[in-house]
Amino acid sequence: MIYLDSAATTLQKPAAVRYAVSEAMRTMSSPGRGGYESAMLAADTVLDCRMALADLFCVRELEQVIFTSSATHGLNIAIRSLVKPGDRVVISGYEHNAVWRPLWGIGADIRVAASPLFRPEDAVAAFQKALPGAKAAVCCQVSNVFGYILPVEQIAALCRREGVPLIVDASQAAGSVGLDFEKLGCAFAAMPGHKGLMGPQGTGVLLCRDGDVEPLFYGGTGSVSQQAEMPAFLPDRLEPGTHNVPGIAGLLAGVRWLQGRTCAAVLDHERQLLEDFSQRLAGLDRVRLFKAEDPACQAGVLSVQLEGMDCEEAAEALAGRGIAVRAGLHCAPLAHETAGTLEQGTVRFSFSPFNTFQEVAAAAEAVGDILA
Amino acid sequence: MQFLLTFRSLTYAQRAARVLERAGITGTVSRVPKAAATKGCAYCVIVAARHRDMAVGILTSAGLSPERTILRNPDGTLEVER
Repeated sequence: MIYLDSAATTLQKPAAVRYAVSEAMRTMSSPGRGGYESAMLAADTVLDCRMALADLFCVRELEQVIFTSSATHGLNIAIRSLVKPGDRVVISGYEHNAVWRPLWGIGADIRVAASPLFRPEDAVAAFQKALPGAKAAVCCQVSNVFGYILPVEQIAALCRREGVPLIVDASQAAGSVGLDFEKLGCAFAAMPGHKGLMGPQGTGVLLCRDGDVEPLFYGGTGSVSQQAEMPAFLPDRLEPGTHNVPGIAGLLAGVRWLQGRTCAAVLDHERQLLEDFSQRLAGLDRVRLFKAEDPACQAGVLSVQLEGMDCEEAAEALAGRGIAVRAGLHCAPLAHETAGTLEQGTVRFSFSPFNTFQEVAAAAEAVGDILA
Repeated sequence: MQFLLTFRSLTYAQRAARVLERAGITGTVSRVPKAAATKGCAYCVIVAARHRDMAVGILTSAGLSPERTILRNPDGTLEVER
């Protein structure tokens, strides 16, 4: 199988990740629950992972790095910390349901700062217009459907100027497009561990500006146990219950692998694959590519439409030829609405550091086959 | 004799131990004895008594002041300093 669905989950991981997960299951218990060796080994692993993530995302204090079960989990914490019913919240036109649904569930007054695909200057203008009066803003760093890299630095600067706290959804960016949390000055940044960070499923990270956050879950933390309230300090305030130690151990191995390779090198490789794949598809009739004219606006995700072919049927036909891709709305109907693809959806090809040019060539050939 | 330097969370205690390690002082992360844990579960870093002043100074400079320092006598009795 040729796996081109890394925007959902990276399937090929560094071998060190599998080993770390396995070793953690064999040797580690639960941090914060005892002073014996297996508990302390788990605690050291959790701390090491926090340190590696703080280093990767330029976070000042380790306590600002929170482990979650997914980006969705982190986004729910961030949104529920900042947004109350009726609050006006500005979001980009490319947000995932992990943003849209929690806001809708709270009863927020959602304002979409819609702007055309691959037009960063228009995205900035849309936020500038919509921000006055907002209580919060949310923007993805990279669209999970189109790979569009949104201008979060400029949007963050606008938010700072307006005094509007910003939540960055870094789900599709973490591990390839860099994020400097301190410099960005956003309130929160959420990301999964199982995509570009190369960790196992069930891991996620939330970066917090300060401790003024609302817990989503309440429970034991191994600290200040005699008080009913959740601890006021991070990370304990947001990390009740037993940590996913094998997952965090795997995530640590993934982040270390990434630090050795560098995010910039990963992004460069994925862009080269995307360019090669695009050129091959451009030679085919009946293919519509959603590709940025300026390569700097796009990460390693490419959506396509095949004329006269349902996107789900196309993905199924490709699966039959050993090509794994995702089709449909990708849990981001808002992005499709903004880009004008809501009716048909798209077939999404997404690349990882482990994909090769040979795989890309085979995938392009398969697309040609199903169109023939 | 040893000193127990207590912290509000495991993460802080771990950070403190690593700061001390870099300064050449051995500190072991441990649970605070129940008798000395005023708010329930807590963690501490145990250092040799002779390192107490230097350890507290280093940690304070690093922004990791211990919540309390507790002397553990050879017979196991505890004396809370602050």
